[in-house]
Amino acid sequence: MRGRTILLRCVQALAVLLGVSVASFAVAHATGDPVTLLLSPSASDAARTAMRAHLGLDRPVTIQYALFLQHALGGDFGQSFIYRQGVAGLVLARLPATLILAGSAFAIALCVGMPLGVLAARGGMAAAMLELFSLAGLAVPAFWLGLMLVLLVAVELRALPVDGYGGLSHLVLPALTLSLQGTARLSRLVASGMRGALRADYIRTARARGLSEARVVWVHALRNVLVPVVTMAALELGDLISSAVVVEMVFAWPGIGRLAVAALQQRDFPLLQGTVFIAGLGFVIVNLLADLLCARIDPRIGLAR
Amino acid sequence: MRPWLGAIGGVLLAMTALLAVAAPLAAPYRPTQINLRARLQPPDWGAPGRPRHLLGTDNVGRDVLSRIIWGARISVSVGAAAAGLGAVIGTTLGLCAGFFGGRTDAVVSWLIEVQLAFPFTLFAIFLLAALGGGFVPVVCVLALATWVNFARVVRSQAMSLRAQDFILAAQAVGVGPVRLLRRHLLPAVLPSVIVVASFSAAQAVLTEAALSFLGVGVDPTIPSWGAMLNLGRDYLSDAWWMATFPGLAIALTVLGANLLGGWLGARLEPRGS
Amino acid sequence: MPNLTRRSLGLAVGAWTAVGQPPPQAVVIATDEDVSTLDPHLIRNNHPVGSLIWSLFDSLVRRRPDGTHEPRLAIAWDQPSPTTWQFHLRPGVLFHNGEALDAASVVQSFERMNRAPFNGESQLWQQTGLVSVAAAGPLTVALTTAAPCMTMLYWLEEAFVGAPRHLAQTPPERVGAQPVGSGPYRFVEWQQGERVVLAANDTYWGGVPPVRRAVFRTVPEQSSRLAELRAGSVDLVPNLNPDSASGAVSALSRAVQVPGLRKMHLGFSQNGIAPLRDRRVRQALNHAVDVATMIETLQRGMGTQLASVLNPPNNDPGLTPYAYDAARARDLLRSSGHQGFAVEIAFDAKYPDSQESCETVAAYLADAGLQAQVVAYESGHFAETLRARAFPGLYFYGFAALIEPLVELVIFTSDAVDNASGYDNPEFDRLVKTASATSAEAPRRALLRQAERLVWADAPWLFLWHLPEISGIARRLIYQPRPDDYVEIYRARLAG
Repeated sequence: MRGRTILLRCVQALAVLLGVSVASFAVAHATGDPVTLLLSPSASDAARTAMRAHLGLDRPVTIQYALFLQHALGGDFGQSFIYRQGVAGLVLARLPATLILAGSAFAIALCVGMPLGVLAARGGMAAAMLELFSLAGLAVPAFWLGLMLVLLVAVELRALPVDGYGGLSHLVLPALTLSLQGTARLSRLVASGMRGALRADYIRTARARGLSEARVVWVHALRNVLVPVVTMAALELGDLISSAVVVEMVFAWPGIGRLAVAALQQRDFPLLQGTVFIAGLGFVIVNLLADLLCARIDPRIGLAR
Repeated sequence: MRPWLGAIGGVLLAMTALLAVAAPLAAPYRPTQINLRARLQPPDWGAPGRPRHLLGTDNVGRDVLSRIIWGARISVSVGAAAAGLGAVIGTTLGLCAGFFGGRTDAVVSWLIEVQLAFPFTLFAIFLLAALGGGFVPVVCVLALATWVNFARVVRSQAMSLRAQDFILAAQAVGVGPVRLLRRHLLPAVLPSVIVVASFSAAQAVLTEAALSFLGVGVDPTIPSWGAMLNLGRDYLSDAWWMATFPGLAIALTVLGANLLGGWLGARLEPRGS
Repeated sequence: MPNLTRRSLGLAVGAWTAVGQPPPQAVVIATDEDVSTLDPHLIRNNHPVGSLIWSLFDSLVRRRPDGTHEPRLAIAWDQPSPTTWQFHLRPGVLFHNGEALDAASVVQSFERMNRAPFNGESQLWQQTGLVSVAAAGPLTVALTTAAPCMTMLYWLEEAFVGAPRHLAQTPPERVGAQPVGSGPYRFVEWQQGERVVLAANDTYWGGVPPVRRAVFRTVPEQSSRLAELRAGSVDLVPNLNPDSASGAVSALSRAVQVPGLRKMHLGFSQNGIAPLRDRRVRQALNHAVDVATMIETLQRGMGTQLASVLNPPNNDPGLTPYAYDAARARDLLRSSGHQGFAVEIAFDAKYPDSQESCETVAAYLADAGLQAQVVAYESGHFAETLRARAFPGLYFYGFAALIEPLVELVIFTSDAVDNASGYDNPEFDRLVKTASATSAEAPRRALLRQAERLVWADAPWLFLWHLPEISGIARRLIYQPRPDDYVEIYRARLAG
């Protein structure tokens, strides 16, 4: 049974990937003629024709797609026009920076958002304030917050480096900026889950058995909330990678977001496709893992034990 | 959700909407009125009764306050249009998936998963580069992000409604599927759709600003909050007002929509959903 | 692929763990754009890629800031006939990997520039009409062109020579990542999207450059570049606009302006709306815009108004800028029969002040009774439209940051690839073609002056200003910026 479920999820993941590949191929090819940007404006027409043939742009779209898929499955996303290097290598070289940034933001969101959510579930004035805080957090544009932080913390106070990539100090501002929305969303999710859980029968039972309130709240009720949290956390990671595009621009963070914006501006087709495809692939895998993780920590399974 | 929070949200949104509608009356200057001799002037509260540039001027001497007031039109209409389009697409697909199940459900679920698997910002900038920017393309791309919100909620509600007595009874007396969906299921899911629409509009306003920041927004030449923010970022250290006030306007409007949505959610939706 | 993956990840993680503080004497240059490749024959922009290639490689001659030619790998040259050139190479030059420079290595690099994809970026062969490059001796290179070419030295200044064995034996994609030249700096490392590090070449024929270590960093936000300059973590920020110049001034840094050469203009597309094909309309629009006031306010008085399509000192001193004269503009429009028409003003984000300039011009044109609409183009779309000469109205662009009258005029001939407005005057074409085939100095100058006056009166552009060239420079760094965006860090030194 467990094996079948895993297999089913994997098949579903593959179907999603197929959709991702079709979409990323279609979008990249709808953005115009790459040859004009690939070559300088004064290049000869012969050079243009040669480049067109070189890229396979003179072949039917279906064949271009089939080639793309075949190559993508072999880890070959072609050569970047502007960087004149393999796309896979370029994206993978930038991926750690984005993962470090998104991962740190994610960790902050978890470490701050979960306790805030638990507190908010307990009602009272503090809860109202927390609710307002989380709503405000959701309302602030990430790049605006980033620019304001640069202005205040880095430029005026000189407390942290403005931007760049290096030690931990460079990470603080971008990670905080990126984490805000996730923190707000997570705390809201935990709060609403906790409110439901604290009313549930098994919590009443646990209380009746004389367990301490802290234990009831932080162990039994929180565990019930973990499943939606893990499911959302997976989506959240995708969201973080997506928002990272903007934050990377503000903080000069050398991740895939900035790579993609550069590729977009220069119409670097292979690079665009590769970035979206690899990001999509990573996202599908994270979701798959989250699904499998959920099956393990389901509180009903825990209670049955 | 506390009612007073909902009320704050309602007031914030109502103010934005009012400014958007009454922009020609409310704005002290034309939003496109250039004055090269008065560029980059700081916020000036002037003598009482004779307000000058309350929120300062921008890099060609236009009044920032007037542009924010006119910009409300863009942000409000982008938010409303993206949420509306997303609601139509998402509700239709969600209803069909939830009601018919089987293959329809599989296809819709697949579409949802594909959509969720894309890092949306990346996807959006590619699409907008292809479509060339502008109001309609931006709204369409934003609707691509919002329809999923509706589809997921409506699909799960339709699934549970499908087995309920009033639907089964209607089916038994020979009501056709289209009529059933329109007359019986749609009204039942409408409250949730309204709640989701409120959050989706907020999401659309924020995303539009981010797209403007990346240079693929509605149109940098018309006064929208995202475009103003984008313009202001190069003047951050000498003209902080250019980026700060549009950012505040966005934050307050989004906060308003979220507050209202949360309150509506608590009011309209059945408990526990 | 798996190997590549692990290596890429390893590199990036390594960069992460080793805290990236450069040694104290390193000079840091911050730019908005990423470095795309360090292949000497794929230079996409003057800065940062051009600046890096100029530091890592050498060309036969180097362009001085004033447009004259400095001997580098070539110590002397002569022209045995109008279509043949001989360059005598500097003896004893070594590439960074120990290979020696000889005529064969120059031939190899030049021939590489004539092959795809390199011929897409390197214009030596197309622009000079080069037909052969050969070694006429161990240290003598012979060039032959199809027709006499007056601009050979100009284009040779962008023709770089790489280490021959390295070029031949390294796969093309590695050449751009591991450049080996003979320039004043050696390549040290390149962290993609983040920084390129160079170290002084201790065996450089021209002496060791005073700045021992140079770091080119990518910082996309202008406010961040300036903040770092003020904080002392960056030494040089090129390409500032007048509004941001004050942001470069601090206890540690200053703003330095040199007269710019890039001619900012609004081109009148000849393939778009009909009124713009009428010379009176083009002149009227030149009179309708108060360029002087725009320079005084938007450019904070730092630009100079264009008074010719030729850069100083070659411009005709008898030409003066079109004066702001709204009445004259209306008269000209009335006499042309084109009034109140709608016109598009296109721009992209390439220049920081493009939008504000276009919006202001639109306001002036509205005063002249036109319906001017400012339209933002995505940069790729703008470049495509420019190349296809397909703008419907006006477009904001900057051109020819160089001092070479013939090159500056050639772009207005009807069949020039860079003639983006589509200006087409057979008389002008004839003057410029005759001039480029005339090797005697005085008659050529006379022909060029005629052409210069003709194009000024025909007004294919709405003439604006020379883009002021402003750099933010740390006080500890002694460096005179160039007017054409290139950064020659080997000419800089640290104070004290």
